[in-house]
Amino acid sequence: MHAALHGIRVRFGPLVAVDDVSVDIAAGKILAVVGENGAGKSTLMNVLFGLIKPDAGRVEVDGRDRQWSSPQDAIKAGLGMVHQHFMLQEDMTVLENIVLCGEPVKWFGMVDFAAARRKLADGFSQHGIAIDLDAKVGSLAVGQKQVVEILKMLYRDASVLILDEPTAVLTPQEKDRLFAILRSFAAAGKSIVIITHKLDEVMEIADHVTVMRGGKLVSSLPLGETSKDRIAREIVGGELPPPIRAAAREPGNIVLSVKGLTVAGQGTQVGPVDFDIRQGEIVGIAGVSGNGQAELIQALAGLRPTASGVIELGGKRIEALHVPERRLAGLSYIPEDRQRVGLALGATVAENANAGRDDVGAFSRGPFIDRTAMARFARSLIDRYRIKVRGPASLASTMSGGNKQKLVVGRELSRETPLVIAENPTWGVDIGAIELIHTELMRMRDSGHAVLLVSTELDEVLRLSDRVLVMYSGLLSEPIPAAKADRNTVGRLMTSRSGDARQAA
Amino acid sequence: MSARNLMKGDLAAWTITLAWIFAILFGLMLLIGAPFGEAIQGFLSGAFGGRRFAFLMATLSRATLIIGMALSVMLSFRAGLFNIGGEGQLVAGGLVSALVAIMLPGPPLLVLVVAILAGMAAGAAWALLAGVLQVYVGVPILVGSLLLNFPIRFIASYLVAHPFRDVASGMVQSHLVPQETWLPFLPGVRLDIGILLIAVVAILTIVYSYRTVHGYHARLNGLSGEFARAVGLPVTKLTLQTLAMSGAIAGLVGAIAVFGIHHRYIDGMLVQPLYAWTGIIAVLLVGMIPWLVPISGFFFAMIQTGAAGMERAAEVPKEIALVMQAVIILFVASRVSGALISPPATDKEDVGDA
Repeated sequence: MHAALHGIRVRFGPLVAVDDVSVDIAAGKILAVVGENGAGKSTLMNVLFGLIKPDAGRVEVDGRDRQWSSPQDAIKAGLGMVHQHFMLQEDMTVLENIVLCGEPVKWFGMVDFAAARRKLADGFSQHGIAIDLDAKVGSLAVGQKQVVEILKMLYRDASVLILDEPTAVLTPQEKDRLFAILRSFAAAGKSIVIITHKLDEVMEIADHVTVMRGGKLVSSLPLGETSKDRIAREIVGGELPPPIRAAAREPGNIVLSVKGLTVAGQGTQVGPVDFDIRQGEIVGIAGVSGNGQAELIQALAGLRPTASGVIELGGKRIEALHVPERRLAGLSYIPEDRQRVGLALGATVAENANAGRDDVGAFSRGPFIDRTAMARFARSLIDRYRIKVRGPASLASTMSGGNKQKLVVGRELSRETPLVIAENPTWGVDIGAIELIHTELMRMRDSGHAVLLVSTELDEVLRLSDRVLVMYSGLLSEPIPAAKADRNTVGRLMTSRSGDARQAA
Repeated sequence: MSARNLMKGDLAAWTITLAWIFAILFGLMLLIGAPFGEAIQGFLSGAFGGRRFAFLMATLSRATLIIGMALSVMLSFRAGLFNIGGEGQLVAGGLVSALVAIMLPGPPLLVLVVAILAGMAAGAAWALLAGVLQVYVGVPILVGSLLLNFPIRFIASYLVAHPFRDVASGMVQSHLVPQETWLPFLPGVRLDIGILLIAVVAILTIVYSYRTVHGYHARLNGLSGEFARAVGLPVTKLTLQTLAMSGAIAGLVGAIAVFGIHHRYIDGMLVQPLYAWTGIIAVLLVGMIPWLVPISGFFFAMIQTGAAGMERAAEVPKEIALVMQAVIILFVASRVSGALISPPATDKEDVGDA
């Protein structure tokens, strides 16, 4: 089967998520769609699968224009999609999951499981799949769950398979097995689309590579006509915004020292990682999301237990301390998720601004809160960080994303702690807020604070950091000084184990 | 989910809701052929009338217990702790206070005070048990607190059926607590002073919720547990302390039922009237807004005693009255739930600015 997307455009409000993109999916081929987070690749594939209606453009299957009113239509037409988060009933068996919604029916509506088994057995032998059909899905390893997802599509005779980040949660061995199955599918004439940002895997399995950036199609070439370097360049693309760094300064004493830290991640282990951050420097951790940054940050902030290793803050070991004690020891944390972690949206701006302050006495008298003092403090943040909001008594949920983030940044930075951890501090905010947040982080650096910046935005890391570390598969690269950190070097480390990544550590 | 949102609401929508409620009530009446006017009158007199306002006193007495339980639940819910074990904490409080009063010798006032405090401590301990199970064993509070309702019920049944049974009475109940420890009536009416105790509790919990540092922190935890953890609030301490407060209030309610109404512990006396569950509904109905909780609790007491009056006056079966109560709750809840369980507001600008 041959599927194609022509001139697809998708808007979310004022944002154009996919801008006039055309892709051709040939039978018997494996197409890789690559790009940074937010490049529009998942959105594009959701259009193909009928999850999103495009604002312009058309979907063509076997030469016919199709309009999906829901994914059901797409499934009937022979498309199948494996989402990043599996859609399986954990308490049901593999077989029950596979036939779900497509049950072969005998008399009186009985499910003909024997027929389903026969049908699957053919597929098993053809593609070299081995799985216990009677096992409970909840008892399977992640890789096997993925096989179940794929079997669901095989069972429904899907001839176009879309896989969104299929290897994100797999071990290397599970990945090899998955790729073997996909190759076998392609050989049987099915079309495969893989959405990914791991270049090693693209080079390993794809026949054709489509690169997207900022919602636009950058290139679409057979693998033989492009190269890993070229794809990496195309993914990051564009020109770096001008550096805002003042003259480099001599960093001071070590503020944060991490030695041999390991953290249990989702099915994998993060670490061991080692790094130091000194006074007056910003250390940036670059990397595609899901490579262990979240686990590392949570372990530093005290939100996730460490498995082993030492974290020293200002010479004091903090790995066994609870969050409040760590914060008192000199740590501030700007979380990535301002909606749930950074703010309590149902509380007012003043209530959010005063949460987590070390000097509770400044806004309380005995057991009672002093709302005037709370409002005064909130007002100072509103003015200082140019937060657009009606006032301290407004609900936090009434602010726009950028202003919410400014409130989080303001609250944390105003604590003036020796160490600031900023996790994707400008994710999804407008340019004005980005500028303000970057300037404030630089100001913290210049006044002698240590800043750990973790960001999936490569530009942000390169723009602010004095040293850059790259996280890939739970491990950190050697630190790269700002002068030597360019897009290509860092981009390569972000997408593969090659280069001088410290993989054995 | 602020008070302002709830009160502002859109008037039209509320009017429609009320119209629906009355339409369905009227339809139900028609169905069983009950006289509408008489039924309404029966309801009103059942809730507020009676000789020397006896029924109004019954309503207030019931409201006392429901409001008390609602305040207990409110503290937990606002802190994000789905403690639905109010019933167990209530039973623990009533049982322990009754037993203490029966066994402890001494001046009546002292016995009463000690018994009430013991009841509060028992309620707090029972709630803390659910908290400890969550914090240290990983049993979600929703499950733990619910399951803990059962053992305490059966412990109470056993104790008043065997070791502490008033055998001569022929009922499954304890002996009477000394008459001198009974809560006195308010002057001129048959209503014990328990309502004053609950009024004090109501004021304290409302002040606590709006004005104290602890209440502020607890509410942040309730709005987003992850936020509370990330900004370094002492989440474990907050959890256990809040549950202890909740349980203590429930225990107090149990003691009031013993010393104000039944004067002994009768098997099932705190369970069958569903005080704890009505309290939960009363809190949810007003979206956990503290100052509305007493009003909501009174509303439910009124519906229950009014329904009984309606049965007497217009021969509308009580079951129909209960169906009506359910209809009212459903409709009002459908209006309020927007403020209650709506997903957190998404910041749409995020998509726009991305």
